[in-house]
Order: sequence, then C-alpha cells, then structure tokens
Amino acid sequence: MYCICSILCITFFFLSPWNFICCFPPQGLCFASTKTSLKPETQVDTSENEIVAPDFTNRNPRNLEQLALARKERGWKTTWPKREFWHRLRLERTQHYVEAFVERSNGDVVLSASTREWAIKKHLYSPKGVAACKNLGRVMAQRCLEAGINFVNFKAVIPWEYRCESIQEFEKAMQEGGVVLREPRRIYK
Amino acid sequence: MAAPLLLVARCGARRLGTAAALCKRAAPLGPMPNEDIDVSNLEALEKYRSFTRYFKLAEKESRRPRWWKTYWQHTNPQPEPKTDISLPRAKLLQAKEIKKRKKILRENHQNTEMERAARLRTVLIPLTEVRTEWEKSSGPFHKRRVAEHCGIFRDLFKGATFIPWVTLRVEYSQEDEHLVPVYYGNMVTPSEASGPPAVSYEADKGSLWTLLLTNPDGHLRDTGSEYLHWLVTNIPGNDFKSGKEICHYLPPFPAMGTGYHRFIFLLFKQDCPIDFSEDVRPMPCHSLKMRTFSTFDFYRKHEDAMTPAGLAFFQCQWDSSVTGVFHQLLNMREPVFEFVRPPVYHPPQLKFPRHQPLRYLDRYRSTQEPTYGIY
Repeated sequence: MYCICSILCITFFFLSPWNFICCFPPQGLCFASTKTSLKPETQVDTSENEIVAPDFTNRNPRNLEQLALARKERGWKTTWPKREFWHRLRLERTQHYVEAFVERSNGDVVLSASTREWAIKKHLYSPKGVAACKNLGRVMAQRCLEAGINFVNFKAVIPWEYRCESIQEFEKAMQEGGVVLREPRRIYK
Repeated sequence: MAAPLLLVARCGARRLGTAAALCKRAAPLGPMPNEDIDVSNLEALEKYRSFTRYFKLAEKESRRPRWWKTYWQHTNPQPEPKTDISLPRAKLLQAKEIKKRKKILRENHQNTEMERAARLRTVLIPLTEVRTEWEKSSGPFHKRRVAEHCGIFRDLFKGATFIPWVTLRVEYSQEDEHLVPVYYGNMVTPSEASGPPAVSYEADKGSLWTLLLTNPDGHLRDTGSEYLHWLVTNIPGNDFKSGKEICHYLPPFPAMGTGYHRFIFLLFKQDCPIDFSEDVRPMPCHSLKMRTFSTFDFYRKHEDAMTPAGLAFFQCQWDSSVTGVFHQLLNMREPVFEFVRPPVYHPPQLKFPRHQPLRYLDRYRSTQEPTYGIY
C-alpha cells in the first residue's frame, strides 16, 4: 500500500477532458468539478496494471444477446407461438385495459406498460381502443429505448387480429419510437 | 388373462434397456389433466367459440405448476425470497388521493374534446409528463425489475434487492452542448463518458448522500470483483461540490473483444456523516489494484448508516477512446480479447450408432481435420 515516488507522466491531468461549459446549472443540477488537491500528488504504482488474466468472463447477462451470440430457444417448432427470441413484445387487449409486455423466452417480464398505470390513464379518455393502443406504443417505445432494448420480436400475434387497427397503430407507434420489431439473426460462426 | 401374459413377456424381453418403473403399472400419483371435465355430454359443455378465448386460457393453464416434473421446473429453479434493503416506503395512496384521481377520470369522461380526439384517434399524450408521473408512481418497481434482469443485484449485493425510490438523473454532457442521459440500461460509448457526468436528484436539506460508480464486469484479473470508477461521499443535499471525492472519476475502459459492460451508479442515503477513511484512494488513482472493489463488502461495512436509494446504469462497449485510457491513464498495454465459443456437445460415442452419417466418426476424432467431409 505504499506509494513509489517515480517520474510519471504529468500529462495525466491534461489528457482527460475535464472542461465544463460554464453556465448556471438549472434547478437542482450540479456539475462535479475537478478537485485541485492541496495535498502532494502521491504517485501510485501502476506497474501491476500490466498483469492481466488470460481468460476473461463477462458476467453481464445481457452481453451475449446484445452481441447476437446468445442462444435462442430453437425447439418448440410444432407449437405456436415459438420461443426463438431474446425479447418478445406481447400486446394484451382486455375488455377494460390494454397492456404491453416485453418478456424473455422463459416468461420473465422485463418491461411493461399498461393503461392501468395512473401516469398513462389520466391523459386518456378511455383506457381501451385504438387511441389508447397508439399512445401505449409510444410510451412502450420510450421505455424500451431507455432500457437498452432496441430489437424485439413481435410475432406472437394472432394473424387475423394482426390486421386490427389498434394493433397496427401500436406497431406503427413502436416503429416510429425507434424500436425495431425484428430481432437480428444469431451469429453462428 | 391374455393381457398379463403378454405384459410379462414384453417386460421380460425388454428388461435390459427400459426403466423398471414403466413395467409396473400403478395409479397416477396425482390428478390427470382434464379429469374434472365430464365428457359424456359434450353438448352441455360451454364452448370457447373463439380462438382468442381458448388461447388465453391455454397460456394460463400452461404456466400453472404441475405435480409431475416438468422441463420448466428443471430450467427455472425456484428463487429464494430476497432481502429488501431499500428505504422505507412512502405512505401508500390515501383515500383523498384516490378520490382526486377518480374526479380527474370523471372530468376526462365529460370532456368533449378528449372524446373527439379519442374517436378520431388524434390524441397524443405528453410523454415527458407521463414519464415524470411514472417516476413517482411505478417507476421504482419497473427499474428494480430491469435491474434484476441485468443481474445487478445478483452481482453487487449477492441477491438482496432494493427499490430505487429516489430518481437519479445522470447526464453526460458533450462538447456540442448535447446531453447523453443514463437511464436503466441504455448504451453510452466510452468517448461520451470520458468526463464526470452531471448528477441530480431530489434531496431534503440536511440529508447526506453517497454516489458510487462501479463496473462489475470489467475486472481483468478476477471475475468476482468490480472496478471502482467514482466515489463521492457525504454530499449535503444536492450540493455536489461540497461532497468529499474519495475516488476521482476514471472513464470507462471496457477491453476490446469483451462485449458490453455494465456501469452502475448507486446513490446511498446516509443517516449521519460517515468516516470513509479506509476507502480513501490517493488523488490520481490509476492503479487497478487500488481500484479493485466489492460493493457487497463496502455496503456491509457501512450498512448501519446508509441505505441504497437511487440506481442508474448503462451498457458500454469498446471504442477508440479506451485505447487512450489504457495507454495514458493506466500506463499499460491494451489487452485484446476474442470470443471463445463453448465446445459443441456430442453424446458419448456408441460402437454401433443408429442412423448416423459417416461424419459421426469425425466428431469424436481428437485432431481437427474432418476426413469424411459431407458424408
């Protein structure tokens, strides 16, 4: 834990961009500033940085699917809907509400948006119908992009229901919101 | 009489391979599916009359737990109940609040313009307002769900979860005055994240906070530990400048070939000023050994005085600025990794494989060259 006094590059400070736009921060927003330390710069020993393990394991569960290397459940070919996806978008229209879920192939819901939520309900005249579906699509697209889910599978819709105006509007709203409704193919080689 | 004889003969012939349990006939260990439906009078039964109704019910039925062992049970082990380490919940909806909401809904229903807009499908709800309201109401629960799926609680707190009640707004400002926000899982590049971000949250006067930025995926030597990128403690209310910066900001450096790394901002609420002298790193700390960190141990040490209140995280991949960080800041050669696929599984080799092509032998040969080609 002791520091070796060695001649290190003084350019350390100049290379990282610590410049900030000087403006009055809006309410509550604060910029973190560089601290001009008054205590002497302790030279830290960086010689051990070079030692790197030859194997690297990335624990991030979303890493493989974002690199299109993760496995998709390829079975289930004789049933419908298939489970060959990483994330699936499911729209449920009940008598009173409309709900949208983004879930994984094992059924875990990652994101959800529904007209039952007060945030959405208070702006709508009715929580069911084409207008509700369209606005739900816009909200869902925003939430998907914030969560980093850019590709979703939207195949699990019953074919004759897919032609409905509400589902078409929902799909259009999702696409305009920036979510691609087609998952990339897995990279096999 | 003939049936038992046949059964014994069949069992006798196949005793070599088949499971013994199948030969012994016994009553099922639980109720059979659809046993409770009386099929003698089919016309009297209620029909579905539509595929959608059947499909919804079928999906629900398929998710019900069964008394026999299922593939779903095998792949999804039951999670243990998780400890909750969040701040105490703000009081639930009062009757007054519910009354107010009902009034608003009634007014909406009487509003003719809203009705016309809904009928003509021109209504577009203000997304910013929806988002602010969502952050107050169901936002924390949704964020916790996404964080659980990204494995944050599993890696940082060994399974203990918390609900991020405090909305943490983190934004990286770029040179062209444009802000890159950090939500719960979006993509930010290392060049965008090269400087410390602007952090804001709602805080009462006199409260103390701690902000922590950690990377659980990037450790180059040990998979189980994280790298500490930023630690600012004892921040009074919103005033970031007066917080003590224990570990200065180090830009993200996900190595090339390792894919996407998570960078997690944690905001802790402190009950009283805490002494972090054991965690103080020297002012420009570019030693990876000193930056090795474990949020679990850090939280364990101070858990009596602070609770996690806010959460924000982003995914980050290698880009050219990372080379600069390795060469200049960390003073080391840049490591480059390559993805190694797990080996393909082949079942144990049989002496007389049934219906297998000639390339079956190639799969078990230790040298790489396949000699039978497509045969």
